[in-house]
Amino acid sequence: MCRTGQQPDPHDPYDPHDPHDTGDDKAADAAFAALLEDSAEELYENAPCGYLSTLMDGTIAKINATLLGWLDMEREAVVGRMRFTDLLTVGGKLYHETHFAPLLRMQGEISGIALEIKRTDGDRIPVLVSSVVKRGGDGEPLLIRTTVFDARDRRAYEEELLRGRRAAEAARGQAEADRARLQDALAVLQQSLLPDTLPSIPGVETATHYHTASPDRLGGDFYDVFPLDGRRFAFFLGDVCGKGPKAAALTSLTRYTLRAAALHDPDPVAALTTLNKVLHERYAGSGDPRYCTAVFGTLDPDPATGQLTVHLASGGHPPVIVLRADGTACFLPTPGGQLVGVLPSARFTPATTVLAPGDTLLLYTDGLTEARTGPDRTSLYGDEALLAFTAGHGGKPPHALIKALTGLLDSFGDGLDDDTALLALGIPAADHPMRNTR
Amino acid sequence: MSPLKITTRDAPTGPVLEIFGELDYANAGELRERIAALTLQPGQRLVLDLGGMQFCDSSGITALIAARSHVQAARADIALAAVPANTLRILRIVGLDQIFALHPDSDTAIRS
Repeated sequence: MCRTGQQPDPHDPYDPHDPHDTGDDKAADAAFAALLEDSAEELYENAPCGYLSTLMDGTIAKINATLLGWLDMEREAVVGRMRFTDLLTVGGKLYHETHFAPLLRMQGEISGIALEIKRTDGDRIPVLVSSVVKRGGDGEPLLIRTTVFDARDRRAYEEELLRGRRAAEAARGQAEADRARLQDALAVLQQSLLPDTLPSIPGVETATHYHTASPDRLGGDFYDVFPLDGRRFAFFLGDVCGKGPKAAALTSLTRYTLRAAALHDPDPVAALTTLNKVLHERYAGSGDPRYCTAVFGTLDPDPATGQLTVHLASGGHPPVIVLRADGTACFLPTPGGQLVGVLPSARFTPATTVLAPGDTLLLYTDGLTEARTGPDRTSLYGDEALLAFTAGHGGKPPHALIKALTGLLDSFGDGLDDDTALLALGIPAADHPMRNTR
Repeated sequence: MSPLKITTRDAPTGPVLEIFGELDYANAGELRERIAALTLQPGQRLVLDLGGMQFCDSSGITALIAARSHVQAARADIALAAVPANTLRILRIVGLDQIFALHPDSDTAIRS
């Protein structure tokens, strides 16, 4: 009934202009008058909260019907017979003694303290208690007035909050477990892209290293060594474009295609040509070009001479390094070889070399040569530095070369931000014991 | 890290895209989107001027390959101009120097 302006007083029953002077209005006025006649005593007794007054020693002097109802007690059993603390649980009594009462004495009032009151049937009701000390004219404390609010709804709300928090914590634990499981799955998948063990090749030592730049992003480098027939073996090492599950799928397709192709025709150019057809058929026209670079080769050991003939071909991959026993190192050029999978008919460049005892063939991916060695993104380790580093390990067996290169990779620190695969194949010199490492 | 910036102009032979900054994993997709949105007429030539490109990784190379596929689908032609030495070295390793027409600058690429 909020009015503004020049409206006449709606409560003036004699105003002849009052448009609301109707029967309904009269009934409302009567109800309002009845409310005003509601006594303060009635309000005290049946208020929506508990009231009690105690002497300074806690003896209950007055208590309202609402609180008696909650306690399920008779007034006679309480007034003059019980102290406020008798209504509390054991924990509540203790808290009252140690905190509530001292603070009330000190401050003269205290509000919103959460306690529990005890019903005669043993049930507990959570309540919020506020008290104030009433003083006489001379400031002498006379009694304590206390209000008690039913906090059952509030407690339920708090429990709901707690339950929500527990649920959130459980969900977080589940998410962390899922993440750990995903990491495990990725690690297994990554492992499946690389051989578990390399075959033992008479008179030949093989050593490999694989550096994973990120455990979350499946790598795109790959290598393998496997037998072709009773005498010859095949090997390959390469790098697929991109990272993650799609790159892993491409790596898998590449690896098994090369293995199958080699069994059909071990000529390196033929194997890469088959791979090119398979990848081009699979990915060309998808709008998302996918390709790899790879070196594929065969090893033909000659037990009579102790030499190893290597036939290989490169499809857009950096040239392999031949490290001689005397410490000379050179690239085995495969110029003009094209990456695999983009062109309907790609060109692959063959090369041949013969390894004698003490010689090693090193295959690598460009994670090594493109590692950053300075603050600038264009300061890269480079081909020539790799050639010089390798030359410094002439005559050492493959596992020693791979160990040295692993140390080199570690020395790049953050500069090594791509996956890197290394494969060394060689004939250990007579004064070095042979072993295969991975 | 300098971001990628691409400007486009129309030459009589077709669009010329100038690429500045770094073409890497983070932003190669931007070039791919720009090129995918280009409408080329048969016989036109798309020129990518790489003179202002400071860095190009394998994702950048993939973007160039995707550009070539898009252009071929439109029966048009693609040429690279002012390829920086570092990138030219990578193109040679992967054999793409045989696939892309390479020109010292975009003016030559438009004329020839």
